Amino acid sequence: MSQIETLGILEEIQALVSDKLQVVSYKWLSRNFLVSSNVAKRLLAEFVEKHGSGLEVVYSLSGWLKNSPSNYHIQLVTGPKLSEAKQVYDGNCRVHVYSVQACIPKDLAALWNTEFIQAEELFKQPTSVDNCLRDNRFCGISNSFVKRNVDGTPAKVATAQPNSVGISGLSIHNSAQFSAPLPSQQNKVQQSSSKVAQKPPIVVKGIKSDSISGGVHDLATKPSADKEKNTSFPSNKKKGQNDKGSTGNGGSLANFWDRASAKPKTCSAPADNIDSIQNSNDAQISACEAVEHENSDIDAQEVNFGRASNSEGNRKRRVVLDLSDEDEYEDAVNLASPDPPKRKSFLGSIQNSKTSVPERPDVDKPDKDEVTVKEERTANREPNRSLGEETSLGSKSTNGKNSSSVKLESQLPETDLKKDKVTDASRNSPKRRKVLKTRIDDRGREVTEVVWEGEETEVKKVESDVPKKAGSGATNATTNTVANTNSRYAVGTTAPSNPGVKTGNKKAGNAKDPKQGNILSFFKKV
Amino acid sequence: MEVDSQEQLQRKQSTYLSLDENFEIQKEVYRGQQYSQIYFARLHMMRTLLYSLVPNWKSHLPVCTVLELKEGKECIIFGTLYKHMKLKPCILDEYSKERSVAPLIKPHNFMHQDDYLVLEDESGRVKLGGTKLSTSVYVTGVVVALHGKETSAGAFFVEDVLEAGLPPQIKRPLKSREDKYVVFVSGLSIGRSSSNPLQFQLLVDHITGHLGDEEEQGLAAEIVHLVIVGNSVEISRGLLNGQNLASKDQSRLCEPFKELDILLTQIAASLPLDIMPGSSDPANFALPQQPLNRCLFPGSTTYNTFRSCTNPHCFELDSIRFLGTSGQNIDDLTKYSEAKDKLDFLERTLRWRHLAPTAPNTLGCYPFTDRDPFLIDSCPDVYFVGNQEKYETCLLKGLEGQLVRLICIPRFCETGVAVVLNMRNLECHALTFGTQISS
Repeated sequence: MSQIETLGILEEIQALVSDKLQVVSYKWLSRNFLVSSNVAKRLLAEFVEKHGSGLEVVYSLSGWLKNSPSNYHIQLVTGPKLSEAKQVYDGNCRVHVYSVQACIPKDLAALWNTEFIQAEELFKQPTSVDNCLRDNRFCGISNSFVKRNVDGTPAKVATAQPNSVGISGLSIHNSAQFSAPLPSQQNKVQQSSSKVAQKPPIVVKGIKSDSISGGVHDLATKPSADKEKNTSFPSNKKKGQNDKGSTGNGGSLANFWDRASAKPKTCSAPADNIDSIQNSNDAQISACEAVEHENSDIDAQEVNFGRASNSEGNRKRRVVLDLSDEDEYEDAVNLASPDPPKRKSFLGSIQNSKTSVPERPDVDKPDKDEVTVKEERTANREPNRSLGEETSLGSKSTNGKNSSSVKLESQLPETDLKKDKVTDASRNSPKRRKVLKTRIDDRGREVTEVVWEGEETEVKKVESDVPKKAGSGATNATTNTVANTNSRYAVGTTAPSNPGVKTGNKKAGNAKDPKQGNILSFFKKV
Repeated sequence: MEVDSQEQLQRKQSTYLSLDENFEIQKEVYRGQQYSQIYFARLHMMRTLLYSLVPNWKSHLPVCTVLELKEGKECIIFGTLYKHMKLKPCILDEYSKERSVAPLIKPHNFMHQDDYLVLEDESGRVKLGGTKLSTSVYVTGVVVALHGKETSAGAFFVEDVLEAGLPPQIKRPLKSREDKYVVFVSGLSIGRSSSNPLQFQLLVDHITGHLGDEEEQGLAAEIVHLVIVGNSVEISRGLLNGQNLASKDQSRLCEPFKELDILLTQIAASLPLDIMPGSSDPANFALPQQPLNRCLFPGSTTYNTFRSCTNPHCFELDSIRFLGTSGQNIDDLTKYSEAKDKLDFLERTLRWRHLAPTAPNTLGCYPFTDRDPFLIDSCPDVYFVGNQEKYETCLLKGLEGQLVRLICIPRFCETGVAVVLNMRNLECHALTFGTQISS
C-alpha cells in the first residue's frame, strides 16, 4: 500500500474516531476502504502507534487456554487489560487490534453496531450486486466452491442432497415454467390489449354472447374481494380454459381490475346483461363445454391476465409437490399443499386452449377440480354458482389436463374469488357489506364466513345438493341464504389451515361427483 | 487498493450427503389417524431386532406374548414400556396454565417414587415388578425384551432386561486424513434482549477468516462445515399472544430474522452451513421438525452452501455419519427420567436405538402410519444434541467395535461456547468467545 494512501486512510480514521466518535473496527475499515481484513488490521495497528494516545483500543486475543486443555479462546480486551489477559493463554496468543474508538461504550453491542449497520447497507443492495459482504472477498480464506445464484431463486445445493435438490429444482423448474408461458401470453395480451383497455362494462357486454365468459368477466371485476378464500378455488380451473395464463400484464390490467373492484356499481350495468345471460343459462349449460372457443378464450384471457396480474403481484407461487388422491382419502389432508393447482390450469390452457375433451392423466386432479369447483360453488354466492358450475363442467377436463401438466401453483384462488365476486358484484345489488362471521358448524369445526349483507335484487338459484353436504359451513350458509330472501349470501370461507373444514368441503364436492345430473338443480329454488 | 500480496488460503472441502429423507413429512397424508400406528411400527421393528438377539442372550427360554403368560413360567416377553407417573402433567393442567401469561414452563423432573413400569404389546399389558428394571432410567416408549415370570399378584417379575444395544456401525475407510473441522453451535437466540451479537459476530469472523493473523486464519481454513443446531431466533413472548400487532411491533417480529440472515450470508459466502430448527424457531412443533422456510433467509438462500435441514438431522461428511437433534428429545428425557449427565441420556437413546422414545407420549410427534423415523438403524460416528447447559463430550465404545463421539452443545447466547470436531480423529474442542470488557 502506498504511503500516501496509508496516510490518507489514517487521517480519515483519526477524523472518524475523534470527531465523529465512531467505532472503527478492522472489518468496518476493510469494507469501507476496500482493503482486505489483514491489511485493515495493519492499518489500525499503525494508527494506534501513531495516534493511539487518548483513544481506546480494543484488542482481540486468540489462543489455547492454559487451564482448560482443549479450549480455543477468543476474547476482546481493552488496552490496559491486555497483558493481564495474555496470562490465561497457554503459550503465545495472537493479538491484533480489533477496533479503535474514542471511549469504550457501556453496552458492548455498541462496538458491533457500526459494523452491522454497514453490513446491513451492503445486504440491502439489490441482489444482482456482488458486494464485499456477499462474496466475502476481504477475508483471509477463499472458497471457490461457493456459488451464489443471483436470480434470487434458491441456488441448487452443491452436493448430493436428494430432497433439497428436488425442491430447489422444482422451484427453479417453476420459475422456468412460469417464464415460458409468459411470452405466449404477452402476445395474446397484446392482441386483445385494446379490448382490455376498455371499461369493465364494455368488456362484459362484449362477451354477452358467451355466458361463461360473461360469468368470468363478472367475476373478474372483483379481483380484490376474496383474498382470504385461498382454499381450492376451482373457478380458476373452471376458467382455466379461458385463462391462457396469468402473466401480469401489469399496469393497465391491474388498474382495470382495481377500478372495477372499487366501483361495484359500474358493474351493475353489465349486471343486467349478465342476468339476461343467466336466464339463458339453462340452454347454455349443455353448450358450455362446446363453448370453449378462442374468442371467448381470448377475452377471458385478458380478463384473467388482469386478475392474474393482481394476484401475481401480490403473492408468490407455491410449489405443489404432491397431491393426494382426494377420492381415496376423504378425510385426508395433504401436507404438501393445501390448495389445488390453480396456476396449472392457467399455464396449461396456454398449451391446449381448445381442448374440450379431457385427457386425465392424473385422476386425482380433475377430481380435485370438481371437488373444489363444487366447493367454490357452494362457497360463493348463488348467482355465481350457476355460471361457475357450467364453467367447471366445461373446463373440468381441461383443468384436469392442465393441472397435471404444470406443477405450478400460484395464488390464483384469489383470481377465482375475484371472478366470483365480480359476478356477485355485477349481478347483485351494489349495496353490500362484507361481514366476517365465525361460528361452529355441525361437525364442530370453526368456520369463518364472509357474509354479504345487503339488498339483493335477484335471488339466485340455490343448489339442491347443498344440504347433502355433511355440515360444511357452506352448506349452512346456503341453507341460510335460501331461507333468507333478504340477501344473506354467505360465502363460506374456511381458513386454509383448517384441514377439517376443507376436507368437509371437498367431501361435499365429492358427494356431488356422482350427481352430475343435478346441475340443473342449481337453477331451481329449494 | 491493492490486495494482500500473499496468496489467500484455500478452504478445505468435503463431500456432503444428506440423509434427512426419513424426517421429511411432505409425503405423509393425515387422515385423522392417532398414534397407535407409530407405536405399532416401532414395536414391530424393534421386536424383530430383539428376537434376533435373544438366542445370544438366553436361548433356552421360550418367548411368549403378554396374554400367554402363565404364573410361575419363566419366559421372555417383548413389548413397549410404559411408565406410569403420578406427577406427569396432564393436558388439562397444561391448558389451565397456558391461559395465564406464564413464561416457558421450566422443565423440572416429574419423577416420583411411586412410578411403576408396565410392559405392553399387541395382546395386553402387564405391570412390571422386581428391582432389575430401574424406573428412574426407563421411560415410556422404549422397546425391550424381558426375562422373568408372572407372579401370583399378576405382575411380571423381571429378572433380566435386554435392550437392543448400539446399532451396527458402518466402518469408515481408514485412510489418513488431514485435519478437517466441523463447527457446531446452537442456541444463538438472536432477538433475545440478553443476547450479545458481538459474540456471534466474533464467531463468524473467526470462521470466515477475518479475525486473527495468518496462522489463525490457517486454522480457520480447515473448518469445512458449520451446523447451527436450533434455536437461532427468539421472538419475545409478548408478540406472540395471538393479538393483532401494531406496525411497529411487526417490524420487531422480523428484526431477528433479518439480523440472522445478514450473519448467515456472511457465513454462507465462505463455507457450507446447515441450519436446523429448534423449539423456539418458527418451525412446526411436532418432531420431526421440518426445515425452516427458505423465505426466512432471502439473502442466504441464494448461496449453494446454505442448507435448511430437519430436526433431527442426519448427514454424512466425507463418509462420517453425523446424527443430532436440537435438544427436545433429551430435554424430555430429563423431565421423565434421571441420569448423572446429559451424555448418559445420549448413550441411552443409542442403546435403545431410538432418538426420541418419549415421542409421541410427552413429546410432540407426527402420527406416522407406516414407520417410526426415529429408529436408529446404523450407528452414527458423531451424535450431537444442541441447546444444553454446558459443553460435554465423550467417546462411546460399543461391544462390536462401534465408536461414537457424543457431544452436548451448549447454548451459545448464554455461554459463548461453540464446539469444534476434528473429523480425522473425532476429537473435540471448545471454541469460546469472551467479550467481557470491563473498563
